[in-house]
Amino acid sequence: MAAKKLYESFSKELIEEVHRWGSMKQTGVSLKYMMEFGSKPTPRNLLISSQFLHKELPMRIARRVIDLQTLPYGLSLKPAVLKVRDWYLDSFRDLRSFPDIKDENDELEFTKMINLVKVRHNNVVPMMALGVQQLKKDLHPKIDYKDLDEIHQFLDRFYMSRIGIRMLIGQHVALHDPNPPPDCVGYIHTKMSPLEVARDASEDARSICLREYGSAPKVNIYGDPNFTFLYVPTHLHLMVFELVKNSLRAVEERFVDSDKVPPPVRIIVADGLEDVTIKISDEGGGIPRSGLPKIFTYLYSTARNPLDEHSDLDTIDLATVSTLAGYGYGLPISRLYARYFGGDLQIISMEGYGTDAYLHLSRLGDSQEPLP
Amino acid sequence: MAKKKLSDSLVKELAEEVKEWGSMKQTGVSLKHMMNFGGSSKNLLISAQFVHKELPIRIARRVIELENLPYGLSSKNAVLQVRDWYLDSFRDLRSYPEIKDKNDDLKFTQMVKMIKVRHNNVVPMMALGVKQLKKERPQFDYKDLKEVHQFLDRFYLSRIGIRMLIGQHVALHDPNPLPNCVGYIHTKMSPLEVVRDASEDARSICLREYGSAPEVNIYGDPNLTFPYVPSHLHMMVFELVKNSARAVQERFMDSDDDAPPIRIIVAGGLEDVTIKISDEGGGIPRSGLPKIFTYLYSTAENPLDEDFTTTGAATACTMAGYGYGIPISRLYARYFGGDLQILSMEGYGTDAFLHLLRLGDSQEPLP
Repeated sequence: MAAKKLYESFSKELIEEVHRWGSMKQTGVSLKYMMEFGSKPTPRNLLISSQFLHKELPMRIARRVIDLQTLPYGLSLKPAVLKVRDWYLDSFRDLRSFPDIKDENDELEFTKMINLVKVRHNNVVPMMALGVQQLKKDLHPKIDYKDLDEIHQFLDRFYMSRIGIRMLIGQHVALHDPNPPPDCVGYIHTKMSPLEVARDASEDARSICLREYGSAPKVNIYGDPNFTFLYVPTHLHLMVFELVKNSLRAVEERFVDSDKVPPPVRIIVADGLEDVTIKISDEGGGIPRSGLPKIFTYLYSTARNPLDEHSDLDTIDLATVSTLAGYGYGLPISRLYARYFGGDLQIISMEGYGTDAYLHLSRLGDSQEPLP
Repeated sequence: MAKKKLSDSLVKELAEEVKEWGSMKQTGVSLKHMMNFGGSSKNLLISAQFVHKELPIRIARRVIELENLPYGLSSKNAVLQVRDWYLDSFRDLRSYPEIKDKNDDLKFTQMVKMIKVRHNNVVPMMALGVKQLKKERPQFDYKDLKEVHQFLDRFYLSRIGIRMLIGQHVALHDPNPLPNCVGYIHTKMSPLEVVRDASEDARSICLREYGSAPEVNIYGDPNLTFPYVPSHLHMMVFELVKNSARAVQERFMDSDDDAPPIRIIVAGGLEDVTIKISDEGGGIPRSGLPKIFTYLYSTAENPLDEDFTTTGAATACTMAGYGYGIPISRLYARYFGGDLQILSMEGYGTDAFLHLLRLGDSQEPLP
């Protein structure tokens, strides 16, 4: 049973340690740096990387523990949020109690340990969403998403930080792969073709649409097939999948009772000097201007939460875990992924016609991780 | 000769009156209200009395702002000239007696018409003042002059309101109004039609300048109409298509490929009418996008030169024909509760989204 307050079940020393590490200065890394460093995964470099993570991860995790403890409107006391806090605390303890990393064996043990930390945190997003849902129930029904700005800002920071932590861990673990695919440095593809990723993600989105509606609009993609740049394909895949999924759904719903052939979703991949921009346009009827701010909030997520009120928070089986991994939590999190490496996601709509999503990805790769 | 400071002049009472009226509460009007307020004689009298009270309040506010600009902008000659125009207009309004009958109204209407003409060149004159400031401080970047931008946004937005109120009042006196028109407002404006006209005007400019112009393809419901001010929409679309055409021409100038057409979509929703203008002119880098909404980097040629005389054959109506680009188009859009957003794909092209409120019940913004 998750304890309400930190001091109720954790030692005083731990609390002090969390506060100490939570006020230390975080160190950001750029995509370029990760690539350069990871391109030579010698035992020495892996040692340096693990020593860096051994120091950096507890700082980032401790900050989040403190944040989780001080949320407004009593969000911190919701059972789901306490569960997340406990996950972060356990991970903090695992990291702090791991001895100095001195040789290759230490390093392998450490890598295994942080991989487990990552797995422990797999369900953080739906779990936090559950906590927010629990909060909404208790709040006065008149309170609107606009009033909960503090919570939105917290969630933005929290999830952004999570992206960074998982990138650092995942990248370090992936560098141990003895047979990496060509042109790849961990999660990073040095010659990623955005056209190719967009194609794959669109097909995945169309499959979901087909399953749900029995049909799916076409997706036309325009762009230079020979263009490649440095990026993390899984991130791009997630974002494009999410955006195309939304577009397909809007078009299907609009043309469901119509004889007309649903118009295709159009994707343009453009490469500039600063950015690679991917525009995803649909004719799904658009969103009214007054409704646009809502789509970036967490409190009005239309995604069905795989966890519900009756889930036993302590026993989540493997099946649930893999289902959960398949869902991005929509647009706000896609935007965080875009911003993580210095890009952005903008959505503009024409009410009565359709919506355009602009995904800007920084081409230079020298943008440092944002460290909320 | 423009006087340096108001307090140096002989009319101390005027300064106090300006201060007094500048702190009075402004009253905003919505498009809907203006539209429903037709030109009956009773209404003309009410309208005149409202304008008689409202204009001095708005004008006085601007005088006070013009006197308190940062970085010494207030003492630039061009800015002093604008301040004097506003002061003269304030005096004209305040010295006009109570409006009691039709004759009073007719004379009043003539007077406010003259005021509007007096202020015709405010935009290029202010731009000149800003130019004078930039000359003195070359190290200033557009980011440093945020306060000045915000002032100019407020100032020009207020000017749009003042000119709308005056123009609308004057137009209501027209004995032969066009069908479906109430002053400047067309109650059944077809955005598709206005977009077509404005695009053709923009293409003509482009043709004159480059010898050719890209095609403009327009998609939308020809039967869609809603109440709006056609001259405002014309100005905004003209500006945006002009920019798109220029970008496309410059990009495909030395190319064998045909210049791709500019695409305009006119969509009608419940809240908004949205007009998207898309070009393949090569786009703007993300880092350069904020600049396009600033006044300090206007690429438009200033029709006035240093000693305030109009250059060459430029006349009042030529200058009236040119918006001062994107930032002022956005103000026009926002004036009736809409907006203008510009997104770009570097290496490909730019999309401009013009949102216009369909219901017309948004009250004038009153900075």
